[in-house]
Amino acid sequence: MKNKFLTFLFSISCCNLIAQNNGQITGDFSLNLQSYVEDAAINAAAADEVVLNNAFLNLTYSSNNFIIGLRYESYLNALLDYDSEFRGNGVPYRYAGYTIDGLEITAGNFYEQFGSGLIFRSYEEKGLGIDNAMDGIRLKYKIGKGISLKSFIGKSRTFFTYAEGIFRGIDAEIDINESFELENTTKYILGGSFISRYEQRTNPKFIIPQNVAAYAGRLNILNGGWNYYGEFAYKINDPINSLQENQMNYASGSAFTNSLTYSQRGFGITAEIHRADNMLLLSERERTGKAYIMNYIPTLSKPHAYTLLAIYPCATQAMGELGVQLDIFYKIKKGTLLGGKYGTKVNFNFSRINGLEGGYSMLNDNQDHSPDLFDFSQELYYSDINIEINKKINKNIRYNAVIANQTYNKDFLEGKTPGEYGVLNSTIAVLDLSYRIKKGHTIRFETQALFSKQLETASKEAEGDWLMALAEYTISPNWFFAIQDMYNYGNENESKRLHYMNINVGFLKGSTRFEIGYGKKREGIFCVGGVCKLVPSSNGLNLSITTSF
Amino acid sequence: MKKTILFLTSIFFCATLTLAQGKSLPNIDVKTLQGKTINIQDLENDGKPMVISFWATWCKPCKKELNTIAEVYDDWQEETGVKLIAISIDDTRSMSKVAPYVNSSDWDYEVYLDSNSDLKRAMGVSTVPHTFLINGEGKIVWNHKGYIDGDEEELYEQIQHLVTK
Amino acid sequence: MNRFFYIIIATIFISSCEVIEGPYMNGTIDPIDTTNNVYVKNILIEDFTGHTCKNCPDAARELDAIHDVYGSQIIGLAIHAGQTFARPYPIDPTGNPDEKFIYDFRTSWGEELDGFFQVSANGLPKGMINRIDYSSSGDHRKDWGEWANIVGDELSKDVLFGINIEINQTPLMLSDQFDIIINSESLSAMSGNYKLVVCLTENNITNWQKDGDNDDESYVHKHVLRSFLTPTFGEDFASEEINNGDSFSNAYSPVISTLENNNINHSQNILTLGNGNAGDWDLNNMYVLAYIYDESNNEILQVEEKSLLNK
Repeated sequence: MKNKFLTFLFSISCCNLIAQNNGQITGDFSLNLQSYVEDAAINAAAADEVVLNNAFLNLTYSSNNFIIGLRYESYLNALLDYDSEFRGNGVPYRYAGYTIDGLEITAGNFYEQFGSGLIFRSYEEKGLGIDNAMDGIRLKYKIGKGISLKSFIGKSRTFFTYAEGIFRGIDAEIDINESFELENTTKYILGGSFISRYEQRTNPKFIIPQNVAAYAGRLNILNGGWNYYGEFAYKINDPINSLQENQMNYASGSAFTNSLTYSQRGFGITAEIHRADNMLLLSERERTGKAYIMNYIPTLSKPHAYTLLAIYPCATQAMGELGVQLDIFYKIKKGTLLGGKYGTKVNFNFSRINGLEGGYSMLNDNQDHSPDLFDFSQELYYSDINIEINKKINKNIRYNAVIANQTYNKDFLEGKTPGEYGVLNSTIAVLDLSYRIKKGHTIRFETQALFSKQLETASKEAEGDWLMALAEYTISPNWFFAIQDMYNYGNENESKRLHYMNINVGFLKGSTRFEIGYGKKREGIFCVGGVCKLVPSSNGLNLSITTSF
Repeated sequence: MKKTILFLTSIFFCATLTLAQGKSLPNIDVKTLQGKTINIQDLENDGKPMVISFWATWCKPCKKELNTIAEVYDDWQEETGVKLIAISIDDTRSMSKVAPYVNSSDWDYEVYLDSNSDLKRAMGVSTVPHTFLINGEGKIVWNHKGYIDGDEEELYEQIQHLVTK
Repeated sequence: MNRFFYIIIATIFISSCEVIEGPYMNGTIDPIDTTNNVYVKNILIEDFTGHTCKNCPDAARELDAIHDVYGSQIIGLAIHAGQTFARPYPIDPTGNPDEKFIYDFRTSWGEELDGFFQVSANGLPKGMINRIDYSSSGDHRKDWGEWANIVGDELSKDVLFGINIEINQTPLMLSDQFDIIINSESLSAMSGNYKLVVCLTENNITNWQKDGDNDDESYVHKHVLRSFLTPTFGEDFASEEINNGDSFSNAYSPVISTLENNNINHSQNILTLGNGNAGDWDLNNMYVLAYIYDESNNEILQVEEKSLLNK
């Protein structure tokens, strides 16, 4: 009772504080309820709980230079596509911070990324069920002109606990032109970062480094429409703590990513190349699973939004891959033959990723292998060539069309036995047409087709061809209705030639969104930024509410 | 547990109180396409309204919204003086495509990168697109989650409402 | 001043890494001195596995490697469990028989343990080392890479119980019936509830196993759980106040062929996708395994194993 009273007093004083100090509270809330019924045809399981729930509430209070925040999370129990270790309720995320004279101090949880993340990225992605927030102390400091420093010490979150590894990190970035007051048209930004992880380890048979370090340097050069970004990273020996000789790998890891961009009005081009070798940095060296991954090799492929284009997505292989990507954006001018009245936007994209010669670097008392630096002839993991056209025909009609050809090494990317599914080659076509009926009323149709074949004979039956159709009716600003069907008409197994039908209704008002859906989901790989998870097939009703304030 | 609930409820209560006054932008840094760091609180538009729109190169409705507004942006600016600020939440995978996309699309918006999602979190944005309307005093007066065709008209009504008030 | 501060921090950080030059093998391992003790602390590694789990042999080999280092103090128990990796094939309703993984290694006890400790539901291979760190969030499930480290810590714990397994066959018995007596002794004064579990394992079963990218026909499955002689969660054995030197004795008289038939029936009639293909037990390779655990936290305090035919 006394405690309650105290809490109440505390809240009241918080309230006063907010009113007096010009402070404010922001936040957002999200609830996702899903029911599961058994559906043997699509191999969907029913949940014992019948209804599963993921929900969270973010609260941030900020006033002048002061900020505090927390997140309440509830998994009762977690949706089937989430790791079942998300279980129960709690406040796993809370922090306080303030800024004074260019020094920003954070105590508690924080998200941080150094450069493009090659050696360190702590982030959250609700869609994937990833949250490796750090818990510790972080300092950010702006030293004079154009120099900024970041440093932190902490442990990373895994589900409702923290992984064992203690991370220390420091990152510096200097804007050369600003620092040295150069009146130059070419701009240079230099950066460097360092990470060290400590884990207490004993091993009676092998020498184990308890402090493992990784470092990276980056350079950004900008001139007019040109932009070059390059980052190079290196990790020292980081063997797991095994007693088996062939599991012990003392090789160092490395990665680089380079991009060159040019753009001007109506035209843009980006060319990229990257390579990663033995560059997986975990928060506990022996653990498997994406919850423990602490670095990020940005994926070299276009993130597709259309369903059939994303059925076979690319997942980055931090242990070893070499890839290139080219993107061209062009807008055909208004008033030309192809441009029409409003102009036509065209995006061409090509990406190709292959393995390293002989696999990733390996070093122990019996083995010593390091792959060639540039060898594009190795086993293909993924390739995608696609062109997207976006055009407004008149005031009421616009369309988006995509045609793509993708090659997907299913055996490798999904960890199957070689020869099970082999390599798939798919040609995909998408037409997305929207028609404005009257003010605020729009109807949109999507038709998609995927034609797929196994490039070599495989022991398992292929899913083969798919068709998909979607109709969506929206009434601005509040309503949307959608119905869609995916049909696996080309499955080699005739009993699996199934329809996956879904109906969704949504209501939006201001910053609140309600959505209710019913239907079947296919088992598949779902990726965000090249980090992927396997989503089990399901059949049931879904309710989601999101709001922010 | 009960304590937490009580605490959260009171916070909610306070939040509703403060909501009526209109919120300010948080003290968060973003980057320009030229790699320069800018504090979001330093953005201004001579006392005229600003629209802040969160988007990403991989988000179809976001691009639809911004492309639709781009067609009428000249008129909007002429009539109300509004400025649109597009905050890209692209992470390092697609960050390099922001500038080519923006330039090739003929956008006249101010574009910033929020690649670590710091601003996104601070403004309570859970999904994109999410659009905020800021009045001349720098307060958030209206916001809208998602985009469906025609939503830009409601946004414009809100802008006009601000200007004529 | 501030720059200076940062330079110091940077120096501290950069010095905190350990680049190791070969050779990487540490060399000698000091065997634990056991001359003064009747009993030593033994460790039970319960390896949850499945014959179509391609990464599971890595875990089994780690168990072997740990055994090679620490010898008889390490006792393994392979529990094939779950519907994903341990189910037998063929199961495809449309035919397409696969003659490879047709054996059913699962047991009712293994399934029950798997359900209680939520192991296979979170992906295999996973193991438990003396079932330490039991919690609802799953801290007791250990990736095989963690095993060596934990075993090192566990071995330094005090030995609280001694177990001695006695196996006899009298002329009055069936040829495959055995008298098994578990004699145990407390080695310090304790208070709490302790349970005794006795089970049978079979070593060196040659059968199909997915191993990385290969389907291995002649894979040797070691210390596979066959049957429990006690209930899954053991039987009351010692509780509340226990004095140093208290001794206990529990006896069992199993008929192996009966147990074998029980497993076959269970596979045939009860297990999901089971096919009854769970026989062909070999007495020559069977072991009796007994352990004592603390009911309050599930931790296994002592374990012992002995060959059924005293080999």
